Amino acid sequence: MSDHRFGSLLRLAGEAAQLEVEFGTHSLEALAWVARTVEASVYVPDSLVRTSAGFRFALANPPLRIGAFCGLRLLVDGTPMPPDRVRVRFGPGYPWRTSSHLSPEHPLELQGGSSTEFEADWPLVGAPVPITVRLELQSVAIPPLVWLEIHETPKESPAP
Amino acid sequence: MSGMPGREATTLRSPVLLTSLASAALGDGQGDLRYARESRGAVTEWGGVYGQLIRLTGPWTVELGSREATTDLPSCRVSESSFPGGWRSQHWWNDLTIVQELVAIPRPAGVVRRLGVQSESDREVPLTFTSRFSPYLFPVLVEGIRPLDFEIRTSAEDLAIRHQGFGLRVASTVAPSDLFLNRGSWIGGKYRGPVTEFASEHPVVVPPGGSAEIRWRIVGGLERDLDSALAVTLTNIGSPDELATRQAEDERQWTQGTPELEFPDAPELETAYRRARTALRRLYSAPDENLVGLVAGYPWYSAIWCRDLAIMLPALLWLGDFEWVARSLSTVFRFQSRSTVPLLGAEPGALPMQLAPGPIFLYGTSDSTLRFPAVVEQMHRHTGDLSSVVEWADAVHRIVEWGRGRTDPPTGLLRHGGEAEAISVATAKLARVRYGIDSPDTTIWDSADRRDHALDVQVLWWETLCSAAHLLTHAEDSGRRETCEELARRLATTIRARYFWPEERYLYDSLRGSTPVARIRPNALRAVSAHLLDPDISVAAVDRAAADDLTSPWGVRSLSSLDPDYNSRAYHDGQVWTIATAWAADAAFAVGQRHRGVEYLRTIAARYAAEDGFANECYLGDRPEPFNSCFLLGFSVAPFLTVLFERLWGIRVGEGKASVRVVPGFPPEWTSARLHGLRLSDGRLDLEWTPGKLNVRWNGTGGLSVDTGAGVHSVSPGESALLDLPPPTERS
Repeated sequence: MSDHRFGSLLRLAGEAAQLEVEFGTHSLEALAWVARTVEASVYVPDSLVRTSAGFRFALANPPLRIGAFCGLRLLVDGTPMPPDRVRVRFGPGYPWRTSSHLSPEHPLELQGGSSTEFEADWPLVGAPVPITVRLELQSVAIPPLVWLEIHETPKESPAP
Repeated sequence: MSGMPGREATTLRSPVLLTSLASAALGDGQGDLRYARESRGAVTEWGGVYGQLIRLTGPWTVELGSREATTDLPSCRVSESSFPGGWRSQHWWNDLTIVQELVAIPRPAGVVRRLGVQSESDREVPLTFTSRFSPYLFPVLVEGIRPLDFEIRTSAEDLAIRHQGFGLRVASTVAPSDLFLNRGSWIGGKYRGPVTEFASEHPVVVPPGGSAEIRWRIVGGLERDLDSALAVTLTNIGSPDELATRQAEDERQWTQGTPELEFPDAPELETAYRRARTALRRLYSAPDENLVGLVAGYPWYSAIWCRDLAIMLPALLWLGDFEWVARSLSTVFRFQSRSTVPLLGAEPGALPMQLAPGPIFLYGTSDSTLRFPAVVEQMHRHTGDLSSVVEWADAVHRIVEWGRGRTDPPTGLLRHGGEAEAISVATAKLARVRYGIDSPDTTIWDSADRRDHALDVQVLWWETLCSAAHLLTHAEDSGRRETCEELARRLATTIRARYFWPEERYLYDSLRGSTPVARIRPNALRAVSAHLLDPDISVAAVDRAAADDLTSPWGVRSLSSLDPDYNSRAYHDGQVWTIATAWAADAAFAVGQRHRGVEYLRTIAARYAAEDGFANECYLGDRPEPFNSCFLLGFSVAPFLTVLFERLWGIRVGEGKASVRVVPGFPPEWTSARLHGLRLSDGRLDLEWTPGKLNVRWNGTGGLSVDTGAGVHSVSPGESALLDLPPPTERS
């Protein structure tokens, strides 16, 4: 655990204690229910995997917002992927869509419980190390960008 | 592949919304609890059962099977209608008449559903009812996330499903013969894992020419509350008739306590008043004994959003529900933060943005906190009850200190922005997976970046300071009162000096640093309504707002269509909002433009009529079509109600002993208007207006002081007085 993370956890503990003092144990408990569900229900654990052409990952729910998204961008450690090398589909058996083909007229439509898979043709070179994958979604209805960041070491693709 | 798997057409007909104080059921009127609606640009299914502001289920359907044939309810629907306290549909299938009734119940929170079958056959008819739903079990305020894992347990009495601390129970009067999980047969007992659908089959035999019935009850919310609520009613599902009668009686009594308005010259406004009043009542919410308020709207804002609540509470004061206002304020102030909690966006003195049972709450808006002092001050004027002034004054003082911490000392302007970003920064190092929305600012148009000093936020800050000064007078705290008065004076001076936009004869939307943000938005009209500007500038602003680029035939846009960033589909950068139309009406009356004010009110009334008494949140900027819009929003009804009383009737309740100022804003050609049963202090006030005259009747325990603008008169309890009014003026 890094000093940063340890410091953050200490601060979290302090804030939790303050919440309990002001609003009681139930508030802490209920906020934890929500936090745990959000944490467990969006990114599919360990789904960030190296593929022969790059990497893939999966979501079990949309990140925080539903609706139609006319733009999708993936970044690895801050570097944006070319849109024609990023694909999305609703799951096995559904067709892939290239992110460069998303538009206000042909958006990606997500609702609660929608699972999605993302693939990028962007080889991850070198030894396995933690990377930060950032997914950005642009709603057709509400301007602010919706994003999700995964920071972990991609798993090796299982042998076929 | 632009659509989701299983995508269906958007429902165009009006929804069926059944509510109790702690639950709701939502359907499309076809027979099942399904309701597909465009949301954020895509079709989303919102049908199902809601309890304690937790979405309990996704769509809940019932199918009928007899021998080899099956049907769903929509396929055999004959008719449907609302009845007091509930909703009914009739169906015809295979010589069977099926009547369905649905009622929302408050405790335990959920829905009772009955299907009665009458047979015309001379033979026995074996029937199987199949109930299907997907569990949801997550607060509505967390958009777009459906939990993955659930625990299910069957018992002799019912079936329980839980996720984290949220739970639901399903009971029926006919025991299920078979259960199904995720479309596979299930023997019952205990299960833990993913659940996409739960179904149960219930066999019933209808005798020749006879009838049969089945009832279900789905209730839920917080599991700990559910257990105690079910302790007394576990085996008694209840009769929909009795439950609906009780519900209808509560609503009848509430309505009886509200004023009646008559506008013979504008019957559409009279109808709109009744529609808006009914709509507001549907938003009442007391999901648990410590949480009282109104939900912001349906379907996806069914939580207590404090900004929305503060906008709704003045309308409740005019409707005479002082008790609900006091309980709502107590709820909100109980969550006033006393410390800095970055994870929740809390700062000392701040009031929450959202509240839901748990309690689950979150802070982090620039304006929610600023909206409450004026409500407290207005409540004291309407109730005449100063007993809790000291208690409220302390809470209001903390709000003032919160605002002062965000104030730029030389100008007195309040800074906003960065509230949501602070939450994101606070959580940055805590998890390997992070989520966020790049929302740099949090005014009422919270998807637009209006930093640093949006004009409507400054008006709210000014109103906070004025209201605090009033309350501190009652609390005999002259030191703090003088400080508030001085801050309010300085702020008013800055607003007058910095916001006038001479080229447009309008007001800048904001100041970025000290640079004006030259955008035409309706928010500027709040400064007109607050009488902060010179009269000529106010009139010019109202005239400018009425131009076609901001005002459309279906309401007022959130941004001028001439603005380079205008987008007819953008939530806060082009869409038409009914609350903005109400602001425009309010400002027009404030400058004496009675006809224009009435026309804005008529625009709103036309929307209610077109939407069967619902009130959409917003519409496309280029046509009167709801887009990304809740079908009912408190924002869209409460300000309309408030304008009827405060501007069209021109009533302001005075301080201290019963006193009122009445200077009606009716157009000069109107011939009469009547208001019956306005609650003030310990009495009720009746008003009858004809041109130049006001008949006042009062039944309080002491005299009522009435200022008509032509003089102040005293009306004795139980008596009437016919008073003169000054001649009306119409400013063009």
